[in-house]
Amino acid sequence: MSLIKEQDYGTPARPGEATVSVEIDGTTVMVPEGTSVMRAASEAGIDIPKLCATDSLEPFGSCRLCLVDIDGRKGSPASCTTPCTPGMKVRTQTPKLAELRRGVMELYISDHPLDCLTCPTNGDCELQDMAGVVGLREVRYGFDGENHLDLPTDSSNPYFDYDASKCIACSRCVRACDEVQGTFALTLEGRGFATKIAAGAGGSFMESDCVSCGACVQACPTATLQERSVVELGMPTRSVLTTCAYCGVGCSFKAELRGDEVVRMVPYKDGKANEGHSCVKGRFAFGYASHPDRQLKPLMRERITDPWREVEWGEAVEYVGRRMLEIQTHHGAGAIGGITSSRCTNEEVYAVQKMVRAAFGNNNVDTCARVCHSPTGYGLKQTYGTSAGTQDFKSVEKADVILVIGANPTDAHPVFASRIKRRLRQGAQLIVADPRKIDLVRSPHVEAQHHLRLMPGTNVALINAMAHVVVTEGLVDREFVAERCEDFSEWERFISGPEHSPEAVEEITGVPASEVRAATRLYAGARNATIMYGLGVTEHSQGSTMVMGMANLAMATGNIGREGVGVNPLRGQNNVQGSCDMGSFPHELPGYRHVSDDAVRSVFETLWGRTLQSEPGLRIPNMFDAAIDGSFRALFVQGEDIVQSDPNTKHVTAALSALDLVVVQDLFLNETSKYAHVFLPGTSFLEKDGTFTNAERRINRVRPVMAPKTGKHEWQIVCEIAQAMGYPMKYDNSAQIMDEIAMTTPTFSGVSFAKLDQVGSVQWPCNDGAPEGTPIMHIDEFVRGKGRFIETVYVPTQERSTRKFPLILTTGRILSQYNVGAQTRRTGNTAWHPEDLLEMHPHDAEVRGVRDGDTVSLTSRVGETSLRVKIDDRMPVGVVYTTFHHPVTGANVVTTEHSDWATNCPEYKVTAVEVALRNPAPAPAAPAMAE
Amino acid sequence: MTSTHTPPHIRLANEIAAQFQRHDPAAASQEIANHIRTFWDPRMRSKLIADAGAPGSGLDPLAVAAAALLPPPTGN
Amino acid sequence: MSTSGGVTTVYVPRDSAARSVGADEVADAIGAEAGRPLRVVRNGSRGMLWLEPLVEVETPSGRIAYGPVAPEDVGELVAAGMLDGADHPLRLGLTEDIDWLRDQTRVTFARVGVVDPLSAEDYVAHGGLAGLRRALSLSPEQVVTEITESGLRGRGGAGFPAGIKWKTVREAKSELKFVCCNADEGDSGTFADRMLMEGDPFTLIEGMAIAAWAAGASEGYIYVRSEYPDAIATLRAAISTAYDHGWLGKRVLDSELSFDLFVRVGGGAYICGEETSMLESLEGKRGMVRAKPPIPALEGLFGKPTVVNNVLTLGSVPMILADGAAAFADLGVGRSRGTQVFQLGGNIARGGIVETAFGITLGDLVERYGGGTRSGRPVRAVQVGGPLGAYLPTSRFDLPMDYEAFAAADAMVGHGGVVVFDDTVDMAGQARFAMEFCAAESCGKCTPCRVGAVRGVEVIDRIVAGVDRKKNLKVLDDLCDLMTEGSLCAMGGLTPMPVKSALAHFPGDFGTTTEEGR
Repeated sequence: MSLIKEQDYGTPARPGEATVSVEIDGTTVMVPEGTSVMRAASEAGIDIPKLCATDSLEPFGSCRLCLVDIDGRKGSPASCTTPCTPGMKVRTQTPKLAELRRGVMELYISDHPLDCLTCPTNGDCELQDMAGVVGLREVRYGFDGENHLDLPTDSSNPYFDYDASKCIACSRCVRACDEVQGTFALTLEGRGFATKIAAGAGGSFMESDCVSCGACVQACPTATLQERSVVELGMPTRSVLTTCAYCGVGCSFKAELRGDEVVRMVPYKDGKANEGHSCVKGRFAFGYASHPDRQLKPLMRERITDPWREVEWGEAVEYVGRRMLEIQTHHGAGAIGGITSSRCTNEEVYAVQKMVRAAFGNNNVDTCARVCHSPTGYGLKQTYGTSAGTQDFKSVEKADVILVIGANPTDAHPVFASRIKRRLRQGAQLIVADPRKIDLVRSPHVEAQHHLRLMPGTNVALINAMAHVVVTEGLVDREFVAERCEDFSEWERFISGPEHSPEAVEEITGVPASEVRAATRLYAGARNATIMYGLGVTEHSQGSTMVMGMANLAMATGNIGREGVGVNPLRGQNNVQGSCDMGSFPHELPGYRHVSDDAVRSVFETLWGRTLQSEPGLRIPNMFDAAIDGSFRALFVQGEDIVQSDPNTKHVTAALSALDLVVVQDLFLNETSKYAHVFLPGTSFLEKDGTFTNAERRINRVRPVMAPKTGKHEWQIVCEIAQAMGYPMKYDNSAQIMDEIAMTTPTFSGVSFAKLDQVGSVQWPCNDGAPEGTPIMHIDEFVRGKGRFIETVYVPTQERSTRKFPLILTTGRILSQYNVGAQTRRTGNTAWHPEDLLEMHPHDAEVRGVRDGDTVSLTSRVGETSLRVKIDDRMPVGVVYTTFHHPVTGANVVTTEHSDWATNCPEYKVTAVEVALRNPAPAPAAPAMAE
Repeated sequence: MTSTHTPPHIRLANEIAAQFQRHDPAAASQEIANHIRTFWDPRMRSKLIADAGAPGSGLDPLAVAAAALLPPPTGN
Repeated sequence: MSTSGGVTTVYVPRDSAARSVGADEVADAIGAEAGRPLRVVRNGSRGMLWLEPLVEVETPSGRIAYGPVAPEDVGELVAAGMLDGADHPLRLGLTEDIDWLRDQTRVTFARVGVVDPLSAEDYVAHGGLAGLRRALSLSPEQVVTEITESGLRGRGGAGFPAGIKWKTVREAKSELKFVCCNADEGDSGTFADRMLMEGDPFTLIEGMAIAAWAAGASEGYIYVRSEYPDAIATLRAAISTAYDHGWLGKRVLDSELSFDLFVRVGGGAYICGEETSMLESLEGKRGMVRAKPPIPALEGLFGKPTVVNNVLTLGSVPMILADGAAAFADLGVGRSRGTQVFQLGGNIARGGIVETAFGITLGDLVERYGGGTRSGRPVRAVQVGGPLGAYLPTSRFDLPMDYEAFAAADAMVGHGGVVVFDDTVDMAGQARFAMEFCAAESCGKCTPCRVGAVRGVEVIDRIVAGVDRKKNLKVLDDLCDLMTEGSLCAMGGLTPMPVKSALAHFPGDFGTTTEEGR
């Protein structure tokens, strides 16, 4: 396998129906209207020299290498900035053009170090390539003229260097930051020859607004912006296409390697989820996979107070199988269960749920999606008939109004956020519903038309008020509703009630009624309006109700079933969608089919050779409750640190301590493994072979770049445990597991590794009805037939602020860190977020005598922790916020047992707390006193 | 803040019942029963059925009515 | 008239060129010394800059001019009866009879120096608003036709037909369109924009309102360089007055036209006089050239269809509408119609504004109007059209001021600046300066301009120093071709013009022979 290099057409594609025909060097080319001469030539296989042009960026026209000759045109227009017009006749090679191009290269090289042989980008440098292409043989200006060779290198970023001496001022980095990432952190500074790239106001990259997404590094045609790993290790020699294992965007990457060492991860242009873009996590934070903390051999111990002892696989597997059977013998078949991981592949998850259902003989399988997006599954299934988002990511390019509720895409789904921002810059309008002033509310070239700054826990009141406005102000899409939906009139009567009016709920939500009305009119009046939401919707006691509320709003306004509309969950983890699809829920078999369905069960029973239970099993919180009351005794945990990530830590640890056997399969020893008897080392995404399914239902291949460092794939271990329990379960490879999924699950029947290798990725349903997959759902009819309006009563959470706990704590994620931080804390990303901070409004801080940087205690009725304060007016008064990336913080020590009424998804987003000063920060400029 | 001490199945049943308060009681109890039937492990269901008969369980009347509609689990 | 009600009217220019040589002190002194009721009007400059401060006194026979008047001359002048038009060595006679002024054809500058720049009444009394009133009585299409037929071409330098530009904007589909006035008058030796803005700002406002009506624009911006504080203040005051009189804002002169006008101040970059850089700067960005297409007429300010015209172009529009296209088109030669406001500067005896029909020869301008050099030495070279214009030797004094004739002579009319050098000039130094100027003022976007200009300086230095002269002359020639052909905008594209013209006409200054220079 060699290095994959995508073709660079020079300028972006111009999608359009109308085409024009042009003649380039005697070849006739048909291209969509608006296509540049450069791109048309490239599509015809004619490469025009270029440096400032690349097809991820709008044409710029600065390098002047791509000049061409066009019949009837004066001079030599730049082919990148010249659109094709009908009948145009272009010549890309003439003696005059050759001379001009050589002249340009001569100028470039007169101000460039002549160190190609020792340059890190030797062999991967467009400047070097172009010097060759134009036949530069001499620089007649010499090399002792004015130059930039003494400019310093900025190495402030942990992952890449900015070597200004090699800069050709093509501005690709600046434009990538603007156009691709949308952060506008880079700029050009100085005039004329003094022009140079500057980060922010001219400080270092780390001091600037740079989010280290890597787009600039990717765009740089020279060694100016270069991954430090390439500087240190040299150019990679081969690529493996795979999928990022961080958030639910599911970006495609080229893992670029030397041997089996990853040199760098480069976003893959043909990856449909990211189209060549990346964020700081996927692009750079992969070092954890080879971190010395990784446990590579199984560990065992009798009691959790004993020290660990390294064992061979055979002993560990035999022990787990034997103990599981013993526990079942003593406490019943239902006394054991397993948790699948949204971080693992579909194939690995499928194997675990199969082990539970067939080998354990019960339905006690749940997934960590329980604690994030289970309400999505419930709510969208009830209303639309399928437990998934309605759109593909690309759809947002057609949205005119974007409603973001309880999501913070610039931190949690950065690559999709860049798509949103691009659309907003094109003129789409934005409504943000969030207690916090998240970056999307106002950042460079983006400003929300309405920021509905609601109090945590009042989502349903807000969405009902919006629906009320739609219904009472005549904004309903009657035709859509009549044709496509059911139960509308009952719902209409319900929602028209005066108790739902914006004025009536203003007191509850804290959002001015006029603002709600205006935002609703904007949403309902748009040609295409789309809803994007995150855990700020689901992680509430009314999470499922809120999902249904949004589904109602979209249906009532006809915003379902085409590009630019829909209701779209932004999934937290890489394979939340997939783990749910794979039958990880205790009540559902793969494909969201209830265990009580005899026909479905019989498919699996026939294939698996075991009788399956028809009653639902325990959900994760139920497992904990049952552990404490003694009816649940053993747990297999696949890749989830439940002690750190699940709410009310004290309750979780009490439950785990009560179990006879805890088996943890993970990359690192973690908080949960402290309560484990057996630790089974897991594999990183660089070792896995399988598929992830992202938030847009896209099934992406995860390809191994190296053999498992542990010696075994995770699914192999699961199979061996099942076998140790007397159930024959065996696959030769993970492709066979996908084949079994396809065989048993109608929405996946068209999926196979071979298909994915061929087309790249597909979005389920992928079957005979949709052999190429389904980017947009519910086009002609809903999956359940008619879209169903469901009454969404606002039932306030019982978690309320009190005199003792007057503040509301809400939790979230930050860009550079991921979830419990097991991965990102073991990378250079700690440069940005070394600890969790408590964000607090200046007023709340003032009345408590707390200053920025002080350490405070954070107390709820279930627990107490301490952390440092960041005073920030992006918080509303009365609400504090923190992340849970660092185990030392233990944010979940304080979160409570409250959960979504329908799915038990924990109410992470609302906890009544009090904050008190513990240790003041050291005075800022106090010099250290000598004792 | 007594909820920490309320048995989980009672708390959960009450939370579900709270969603259906404005429905006609017969329909509401049916909806609640359906929900529990669909999502609850049988051992939790058994506890609910057992507690529904007991006075002072703290169960919402709609949840009590729903429990009456639930078939007892057949053993697992 | 002059002493109606016993009040004498005296004119002392407020133009910053006049102020720079003491006009304010002169005005103060007249007020202090007059000893009788006085009305001092701070008018624009008549454009005879060697006579500033030029004081005019209203008399029954007309305005009598005195100049140049130093503050210390005032006492003596008043004592001599200046306020009654009495004789004095500084007395120049009736202003309008000064032949320098009399021989001009003042169209764009008709009111400059005549009126009080900020008096709406003066403006109307001197024919102001006639153009706008007529335009509003016509359809926008008819106004565009009128401009097209007048033959008016962009006065900023490129000479693009204004009517075609307006038509393109007119026909572009957009709810929002703009009219932008380029008043970033950065060319050395040019000052006509400033003098019009300071001396008759309402003309520019009226011209922009007419453009807005014709193009379907509702918002306008005047982009003025920060070096022009007086012009900025005058424009702002005039715009405020125009709003008060209903000449701007909603329903201009009770018509269907709504037009809002704003002044924006540049940041000191020469390149912002290039129209696309100016648009970037107006948008709040770094002044950097945009590639065309798209042309600003279709995607201009904030991506909307935009008329971008120079001050003099827009300043000519009211007269064209008031007097009809034919009156304007009757002036001039070839495809250069109407008048051009030439600015005489540099080493010249009589510098200032000469507005006259196209077709006058370069020699006429320099010698008849300019009176040769100020130093009294022979003229050696004249640079026409700003720092990027060609250097012409006296042997080309026969050239008529005409876009096409100049182009044929590898020169350009540009914005009408004429800068004179005497025989002490080092033309190699001037050529070097052209490259240096480009290196300093380039926006930094395209390679030929950004890097090429720096190398140009170095190569010229080598030629002058006699290093590999023949080889380096070839390098310079290739570089000039590359800059001309390959640059993104006129900045880099025209920088070779002064270099090549200096080399062609004055090869000896480079230590080379004519032969080598070729």
